[in-house]
Amino acid sequence: MEILENKKAWRETYQQNWLAHLEEAGEVDWSLYQHPRNEQVPGAPGVDLHQSRLLLISSAGAYLKDQQEPFDAASRTGDYTMRTFPTATSWTDLAYAHGHYDHTMIEQDAQVALPLRHLQAWAANGRLGQIAPSVISFMGYQPDSARVVDELVPQVLVAARDLNAEAALLAPV
Amino acid sequence: MGLVARALEMEGVATVVVAWNGGRIRLVNPPRALITKLGRGLVFGQPGDTAQQRRVLESTLTLLTQDAPLDPVYLEES
Repeated sequence: MEILENKKAWRETYQQNWLAHLEEAGEVDWSLYQHPRNEQVPGAPGVDLHQSRLLLISSAGAYLKDQQEPFDAASRTGDYTMRTFPTATSWTDLAYAHGHYDHTMIEQDAQVALPLRHLQAWAANGRLGQIAPSVISFMGYQPDSARVVDELVPQVLVAARDLNAEAALLAPV
Repeated sequence: MGLVARALEMEGVATVVVAWNGGRIRLVNPPRALITKLGRGLVFGQPGDTAQQRRVLESTLTLLTQDAPLDPVYLEES
């Protein structure tokens, strides 16, 4: 089982079409983009939520505005780095670096994408075992799926192991 | 995000993706996915609508209790 099937061929197509056009013409042309595809599906057993430690993973581009570098929201080739921030972080300590969605709603109510207070309530009443102590955060504009596999995924796997995650809720914006 | 879900699942971590953009997420075949009709930037619901956010969250997390792979589940939330 592969994370991205036919990764080498996908990368070549991406580089020869979408990326080459960007580099040569200085503009993004999504008609040249081939979305990644997989045929097979991995599967792990389901979990008992009452006993599980749940990790939230968000691609909203959230970061600790006074402690961390923002993601490169202006990049047309994407940002493949990752941040973590404590689950208990105050909303006012977060900012969002992502140039491909309207921030009005998340700034009005962060739980549209980061439902941490709802999850904390579930953990408090026993419906959920625990919430992992940190959120994994990245900026979801990542057109190079091969770089997602080669650069982002290893960072996420290390962090998920360090956080002893048994289940993960992934929330792309 | 679907690729990240696949990688975690292959490491034994049960995953679920909640997506407003069902067409794209389906192509990469994540192990479990809940697809809504909410728009870009609205993953769990409208700002201030805690009832809707909790409904989407509950429907999403329920999928984690089931063995993967699952067919994507569609939720009429917009």
